[in-house]
Amino acid sequence: MSELFFQQILNWITLGSVYALIALGFSLLFGVLNIIHFSHGDVSLLAPFLALTLISALGAAIGDLNSLPVFILALLVAIAITGVIGVLLDLVVIQRFRKAPAMMALVATVALGIVLRELIRHLFPNGSNPHAFPRLVDGDVVIAGLTVPLFSLMVIVVSILAVCALFYMLNRTRLGLHIKAVSQDRDAARLMAISPGRIFRATFFVASAIGAIGGLFFSSYAGMARFDFSVDVGLIGFSAAVVGGLGSMPGAIIGSLLIAGLDTFVQAVVPNGASYRLVFVFLLVIGVLVFRPAGLMGRTLVEKV
Amino acid sequence: MTPRKIPAPGASGAIMGMATVIAVELVGALFLRQFLLIEDWRLVIGLLLIFGAAMMVMERVPTVEARIEAAFARHGRLAILLGIVIVLGFPFALEGNTYALHLCVISMLYAVLALALNFQLGSANIPNFATGASYGIGAYASALLALNFGVSFWLALPAAAIVATIFGFLLGIPSMRTRDSYLALVTIAFGVVIHQLLNNLEFTGGPNGLVGIPVPELFGHSFGDPLVIFGHSLPAQANFYYLSALLVLISIIFAGRLHDSRVGLAWNALRTDELAARCQGINVTWYKVLAFAVDAFLAGFAGTIYAFYVGFISPDNFTFLVSVTIMTMVIAGGMDNILGVIVGAFLLTLLPEKLRAFSDYRILFFGVVVIAFLMIRPQGLFPQRLRRYGD
Repeated sequence: MSELFFQQILNWITLGSVYALIALGFSLLFGVLNIIHFSHGDVSLLAPFLALTLISALGAAIGDLNSLPVFILALLVAIAITGVIGVLLDLVVIQRFRKAPAMMALVATVALGIVLRELIRHLFPNGSNPHAFPRLVDGDVVIAGLTVPLFSLMVIVVSILAVCALFYMLNRTRLGLHIKAVSQDRDAARLMAISPGRIFRATFFVASAIGAIGGLFFSSYAGMARFDFSVDVGLIGFSAAVVGGLGSMPGAIIGSLLIAGLDTFVQAVVPNGASYRLVFVFLLVIGVLVFRPAGLMGRTLVEKV
Repeated sequence: MTPRKIPAPGASGAIMGMATVIAVELVGALFLRQFLLIEDWRLVIGLLLIFGAAMMVMERVPTVEARIEAAFARHGRLAILLGIVIVLGFPFALEGNTYALHLCVISMLYAVLALALNFQLGSANIPNFATGASYGIGAYASALLALNFGVSFWLALPAAAIVATIFGFLLGIPSMRTRDSYLALVTIAFGVVIHQLLNNLEFTGGPNGLVGIPVPELFGHSFGDPLVIFGHSLPAQANFYYLSALLVLISIIFAGRLHDSRVGLAWNALRTDELAARCQGINVTWYKVLAFAVDAFLAGFAGTIYAFYVGFISPDNFTFLVSVTIMTMVIAGGMDNILGVIVGAFLLTLLPEKLRAFSDYRILFFGVVVIAFLMIRPQGLFPQRLRRYGD
């Protein structure tokens, strides 16, 4: 029983880490741009398809499909390309909605998500069908008498490292300072010789690249890449960011852990839970927002007369 | 926008005005007819370009738009009468093309949904991503009543609207404390929960949905039979054409009356500045909940007609994407403008259907068109007008 319990805890944290990597992007972009980039989930889940393409292309080039260096190189390049795609989307589409009402940007990015999904479906060979995605690492390690799959360990460690890097970047570097300045006051930042455009591009790159890591982990966790994964994952990532409080990085992580916790719990305990998991998750979202209208870690925005 | 001076109506001015009204309505109807009947995708693109050019002219030469608007304002009665005649006669002009009639019915149902959402998004700026869910609740409620209790269509119609309204209230209550993106998420979550429940519960038939919803009857005339008027036989779809046209008419009157009433004014005040509205003694919470309820009420009607028209419903008819589409209709058509919202609904319903030539690529194309629309004309096809008093 305790072994099973432990496995569920591990599942929870693994899933929570994956969601967090995607939720962080939503929160980061909202904090800086003040708009919801609804297609962030779709951008993040481009990464597995890019990785599959790169693995087969690079593998064919050196004649060895299973070589580890090729594999790692492909993943890193996929993450970088996803980051660049995020920047390009900003340049081509999202940029135009900086001054538009928030709802406009929201609907435009929802449409952008549809476009991205359909592009995968049409451009990737057999894009409508699920594609097997390799488990990044196999095997187990035994820690203090408990079996831990290496994959979960890797997801958790990499996520913690990514989050630490993000926090370091935001709090300790010049770029982070600039990002904060732009998110607080765009015009004042411009007066301080900070180019908001450059900061937006940097933010899009960072958010999309971190999302890409999440997307790769998710596909690896599910064992396959599907063009329509991003609907659920994007929605859950967005919910996690909102439940935590948009613009708050710790909030995004807490929100993700909360949602992943309920998700795992429902699947393990409730009969037929797998088909009802989204019902529970989104009831939780409504419940949290009723009692904390600006999310768990968000600043309350109630105006008082 | 500055108030425009309308020149004093002379005899020739009045005739010009009437001619403008008649010409605009006839050209509009002719355009819609051609758009419905043509098959070749090149012609579809051509008509779209003409439409785009007309919009461009309106944008570039504001006096054209002002003239038309003034003519319609002055000859309102003529415009309405002619409009009713055109709507009544339209099925006869479609040469018995059942597919074109079917598209008309679906477009009109979406027009009702878009008008419903317009109360919230347009009038009060409340983002609601759950109109699709209310539509689904209406459809399922009426279908379940008809299938399990043998309730007739005419009784199921108000019953389903009431059920949808109750759910609208339920959604409105948790939405009261949140706003903007947070409010948007509450409605998205509500939509997902409803969709998932429809998809998983036993009594809603799960993913297979409900089949065999009976065809409505009126005075012994089954809606499944061809409609014979003055010895001219119209396909069975015409029954539903007139039914949904009636619903659109009721919705327009409903929307117009609400817009001109204290309620509409209160919603507009909410949109402009919630805090100031509260200071003016407007019960913000009540008006927000009311907007949710009105939206759900109309959506429930549309859902019932859809269920009985198609005879088969499944959860996939009422997904998040449906809500997004309705939202796009309102935004692309022009928020808080009844005509704009209806045009937006027709355009976005017909576009994917007419792009079937692109088969698999049409969803992609649809997404691109929506983005292009929002980028090129961000205020919508027909932007909201200033309220007019006393002229």
